[in-house]
Amino acid sequence: MVQMRKDDHEAIRAVLAGDKEAYSALVVRHSRTLFRVAFRITGNEADADEVVQDAFVRGYRKLEGFESRSDFGTWIYRIAVRCALDKVSGRRPDGVSRVAEENDPEQNEMQVADMAAGPDRLLLSGEIAALQQSAMHCLTPTERAAFVLRHMEDRSTEEIGAALGMQPNAAKQAVFRAVQKLRRRLAPLRVNA
Amino acid sequence: MMHLSQEDLVGLAYGEGAPAADHHLSGCAECARSVAEMKSDLAELKPLDAPIRDENYGERVWEAIEGTLPRYQAPRWKWLGSRLVWGLGYAAVCAVLVAGAFYAGRVWEHGRKPPVTASTSTPQPRQPIVVVVLSDHLDRSERLLVELKHVDAHNSEMFPPLRDEARTLLAANRVCRKDAEQAGDPALEGALDHLDHLLGQLANQPGGLNTAAIAHLQDEMNADGLLFEVRVLRSRVHDQKSGRKPTNGGTA
Repeated sequence: MVQMRKDDHEAIRAVLAGDKEAYSALVVRHSRTLFRVAFRITGNEADADEVVQDAFVRGYRKLEGFESRSDFGTWIYRIAVRCALDKVSGRRPDGVSRVAEENDPEQNEMQVADMAAGPDRLLLSGEIAALQQSAMHCLTPTERAAFVLRHMEDRSTEEIGAALGMQPNAAKQAVFRAVQKLRRRLAPLRVNA
Repeated sequence: MMHLSQEDLVGLAYGEGAPAADHHLSGCAECARSVAEMKSDLAELKPLDAPIRDENYGERVWEAIEGTLPRYQAPRWKWLGSRLVWGLGYAAVCAVLVAGAFYAGRVWEHGRKPPVTASTSTPQPRQPIVVVVLSDHLDRSERLLVELKHVDAHNSEMFPPLRDEARTLLAANRVCRKDAEQAGDPALEGALDHLDHLLGQLANQPGGLNTAAIAHLQDEMNADGLLFEVRVLRSRVHDQKSGRKPTNGGTA
């Protein structure tokens, strides 16, 4: 880890000194981590690929502002999270006319109805995954990103706040709202199971 | 008994419970059960498995973005640093040349000194030699003072010739002043003293000559009436040279 960080910093110094190709080492080293989190937030392979590229381009342009005391992996990861959030925030859901289910005044984002099949029509083995996927779509982009970072990426509240550009308390609230919504969505499945 | 909030339960389920919530949990079976249920529910939510990306994925990402990235310029301070080194080197060479020229000038002036000082041992031929040297010195000094009086203080190109001439005259002026002192001519000695002061400032102005320094010297020269003083002396010395009797008392 320490060696990787040292290598990253050497590559950054080389890039800033005019050696553009040195950035490729950073791209190769961190691409797969970025793809994983990008996919989990966007839920879409093509979008995740785009997010990875956007994140590295954005990171390159901001490289002069990178503080040498920081960890490049953490820094570019946060940029990727923001890119993924931008991607899902700008995406129109499915092109299907949806009915408002509930409003989230804090986020000022409209919730949409879940059009997925009911749990009784799903086989139990695939039910959980399918319903979870469906339930994830009812989260706001911020809640989805916060939940992914907390539940799937095992990030602390402070890290989530830093990645999403919000106070830790707001990040905690976002995780809480996401968990509440998901539990409500998955409650029928638990009863049927 | 106040139970834990849903938010606290979520925090505890993820291992980020506040100390107070942890403490409450140890004494509240209901909340402990709620946390256990919460953990169980969360355990059902499986992480999304991202599609596998092979070892060459990073290289493909690099190929995709490489063309869009501009190359960073090498830090500007390096360029400035090299320019600074060259500049300092150039300034040092100039300083050495100026100092060398000044030293050579002084040595040369001292080299010219023996004919003047040699005359002290032979009083009869000394007087004409001293008068000729002094006359020449006062002529040049007057020209310099006239130039200084009329020089455009904002035209810095004019300053170096003034400075160089002042340096040359400064050495000669000291010889003449010493001679006047030995000859017991207080009027001439006083005038050459004033001249020495001004030449010294003109020749060795700290930080070099600039508009403010020239303006200051012009004011000083006018206030002292130095140019007038030099003209009177020159006239007197010319009279001596031509063998006429001076119009006022005291001669070199």
